[in-house]
Amino acid sequence: MSQATANQKSLWQRLWKQIDIQIMVWPGVILIFIFAYIPMYGVLTGFMDYNIFTGARIFENKWVGLKHFQDFFNAPQFGTIMRNTIMISLLKLIIGFPAPIILALMLNEVRHRIFKRVVQSITYLPYFMSWVIIGSIVMSLLSTENGSVNMLLKGIGAIDESINFLSMKEYFWGILVSANVWKDIGFNSIIFMAAIAGVNPSLYEAAEIDGASRFKQMYLITIPTIMPIIIIFMILAMGSLLNAGFEDILILAQNPSLRPVSDVIDTYVYRAGLQNQRYAYGVAVGLFRAVISVMLLTMANYLARKTGNSLW
Amino acid sequence: MKKTRKTLVMVATALLLTTLFAGCSKTTSEPKPSTPNDTTNASTSTGSDTTEEKPADVWQLGSSELEFTAYAHYGWLDLPAKMEDVPFWKYLKENKKVNIKTRAAQGNHAQLMTTMMADNDLPDLIYGNRFDPDILRLYEAGKLVPLDDYMEKYPNLKKWLSSKSADLLRFPDGKLYQFPNWYTSQPNGSSGYAVNKKIYKELGSPTLETMDQLYDYLVKVKQKYGSEVIPYEPDRAVDGQGVGLIYTGFKENAYYRSLNGSTLAVVDEANNKLASLFTDPAFHESQKFVSKLYREKLISQDMFTITDRGPVQEKLMSGRVAIFGSSDPMPYASAAHAALSKKDPDAGYFMIWPFHKAGLDKNKIYTGGYDQLGWNVNVITTAAKDPEKIYAFLDYITGPEGMLIQFFGPEGGNWKGLDESGQPIFTEQYNAEEVADIQAANNPVMMAGNTGYIDPAKMKFELSKPPEERNWLARYQESVTWKTHIDQTALASNLTPAPGTELADISTNVLDLFLQTLSASSTAKSDEEVDKILEQAEKDAQALGYNQLLEWRTERWLENKKKLGQ
Repeated sequence: MSQATANQKSLWQRLWKQIDIQIMVWPGVILIFIFAYIPMYGVLTGFMDYNIFTGARIFENKWVGLKHFQDFFNAPQFGTIMRNTIMISLLKLIIGFPAPIILALMLNEVRHRIFKRVVQSITYLPYFMSWVIIGSIVMSLLSTENGSVNMLLKGIGAIDESINFLSMKEYFWGILVSANVWKDIGFNSIIFMAAIAGVNPSLYEAAEIDGASRFKQMYLITIPTIMPIIIIFMILAMGSLLNAGFEDILILAQNPSLRPVSDVIDTYVYRAGLQNQRYAYGVAVGLFRAVISVMLLTMANYLARKTGNSLW
Repeated sequence: MKKTRKTLVMVATALLLTTLFAGCSKTTSEPKPSTPNDTTNASTSTGSDTTEEKPADVWQLGSSELEFTAYAHYGWLDLPAKMEDVPFWKYLKENKKVNIKTRAAQGNHAQLMTTMMADNDLPDLIYGNRFDPDILRLYEAGKLVPLDDYMEKYPNLKKWLSSKSADLLRFPDGKLYQFPNWYTSQPNGSSGYAVNKKIYKELGSPTLETMDQLYDYLVKVKQKYGSEVIPYEPDRAVDGQGVGLIYTGFKENAYYRSLNGSTLAVVDEANNKLASLFTDPAFHESQKFVSKLYREKLISQDMFTITDRGPVQEKLMSGRVAIFGSSDPMPYASAAHAALSKKDPDAGYFMIWPFHKAGLDKNKIYTGGYDQLGWNVNVITTAAKDPEKIYAFLDYITGPEGMLIQFFGPEGGNWKGLDESGQPIFTEQYNAEEVADIQAANNPVMMAGNTGYIDPAKMKFELSKPPEERNWLARYQESVTWKTHIDQTALASNLTPAPGTELADISTNVLDLFLQTLSASSTAKSDEEVDKILEQAEKDAQALGYNQLLEWRTERWLENKKKLGQ
């Protein structure tokens, strides 16, 4: 009996030994394979002139190579879309990423338990509302006619005339990012709260004896301890860097004059691909985004590995 | 311990098997066998039918069972799941043996249609917008049944649809595939302005005819009511609706349709061609007017931002709008009128003759247009086993009997028999409230309709009453809106490029640009800025290939005019 077969046998034996665990794993693997990997052949349509009536028999379509990608790079909207996508994503990352961490750190310092619970509940409630509802709340808050924001600003004498916030390009990114932070901050902070709860209390006690202030404790103990989690979430966020959002933009940017600042890859794919039924083109643009995202994710992970906190 | 492990293994095995089956059923979705009725077969076989068979072989609705699947290709409209819920369909089932099975898009009509196309699992009958590119795609894939032979056999469509109009509905192969809904030879539509009665009286009932008078009136409204009242509320400004009305007041014979995405051109009569909207002096002028209203807060400041109609309706219902301009103000204004006048007989809304720029002929101002072909069509797909019977069904419901039952209930109730002109004779027990209920209940699913027949029938009863007692809608349709709508059939048909073509891209890009420009110029800070925005838009549009699109549209438009003999 050769070495290889001996190894093989031992592999099968090992698998058999953990048969109950194997049986639990396989449904998941099969599900992912069927529903996440098999449909992936659909990305091939991005290189074809797709005719919908061929349906599942996609190989009956004509191959056109990179035509759809070239069309996208040459589209008149390309520059605007890329700029908006990158800028909105970066803003969401820079402001939206640290916000829940800061909230978690702040809540950690609150000693009044009931107050803490109430704040937590209130901040994570918006997460469960759909963008349609959040959008209409934002719109009525910012309305020129009887929106609370305009009424407040007028009341304190900051402005004389109502400002039409949702039709001004210069305000759009701010409104979009703020609405996102408001919606997600509470829910996203839960994970960081959990991480903070796991910090060994004796560390704080020791620091206190050494005379460290509350702020120093946060800076020297809490943050370094939850750093691995922060980095993992950072890597994941990098992967969706080109995912500037879809529903939120579609709902908040109703005014067509906002198009120059609001059109991102996703809204463009929706318009060009679904509404104009250029499915192959939509697939190509989506694929382009996915490829960039994978590259960014890999890069972020590579950098993180240097700090010893990588995802893989 | 061992027992737990055994149970675990069993549960996990069951899970694994379920997954496998779920996966299998998904992966084995082979394309379903296509229906035997190939388009060409269908047309040739029925073609020989007509020549060989005697007219006695015409299938009579109700003589045998008819069952088919129907689907409305709209995101906001589904055919009811149970046909008994709608009086007319209930009648058809009980008296004519028609059983319709419906498919519902539930808001995802684009996806559902895509799936049905890709699976080759089409419903027998599709009801949808005539301008929807999906209809054209179905035709191009050979999935539609031509109707010409049936049209010869059955009386109603042939009688009521003029041959010219039918020509416009034909697809490139010269055949008719679409059964039009609400086709007409006379104006319909309700585009126009509704005025708040109470505010109008309180301001001394000034003359409201010209654009200057409109402006003065709006200024007075603002002075008297401040921010309580919106002087001018434009409906759906974001698609150009309430703003487009104003445009039509700045030029004689201007088309409201010029602002429509599938037209987006003005008629240049001198050169007999379609020209750019951005260079139209009347458009420059009307946008300056709109931006002046915006700057002086005489028009809703949120018009481009809050696109949900809910807030607009709320303002109307509470009487907080002085003038409402819309391409279809009637449903909102009549509801608001009913609610307000119930509390105070002097309150409510009334419609007025459209505003015009001083010096123009007010009888040449058209706030809206009508299309002889209506807007919806029914197509019968090759999935239908018996397309002729479905055609006979459609033909029946657009005939006098079908139309009258939809609008007034079965014969013997509110009406009995027809007079010499083919119109219904209303009975003693005619019950206006019941009629309103019947119409409201049937309204969502009027699959096929014949405006040319039913409008005079509706009017016959209303016109026998003095104006104050007439139904609000009927009153203003008769006195205003039918007279202020222009025939735009030539401009409305076949001007949409086929999806996926270069022209379709241009069309989309130019439409995008137009919507941005409309919003920017309506809210510009000065008249000069309006000009600048429109000039820039013209440059940008030309760079996108607007001219190419205009040339193509001109060609189609001239072709349409020729077919219509205009």
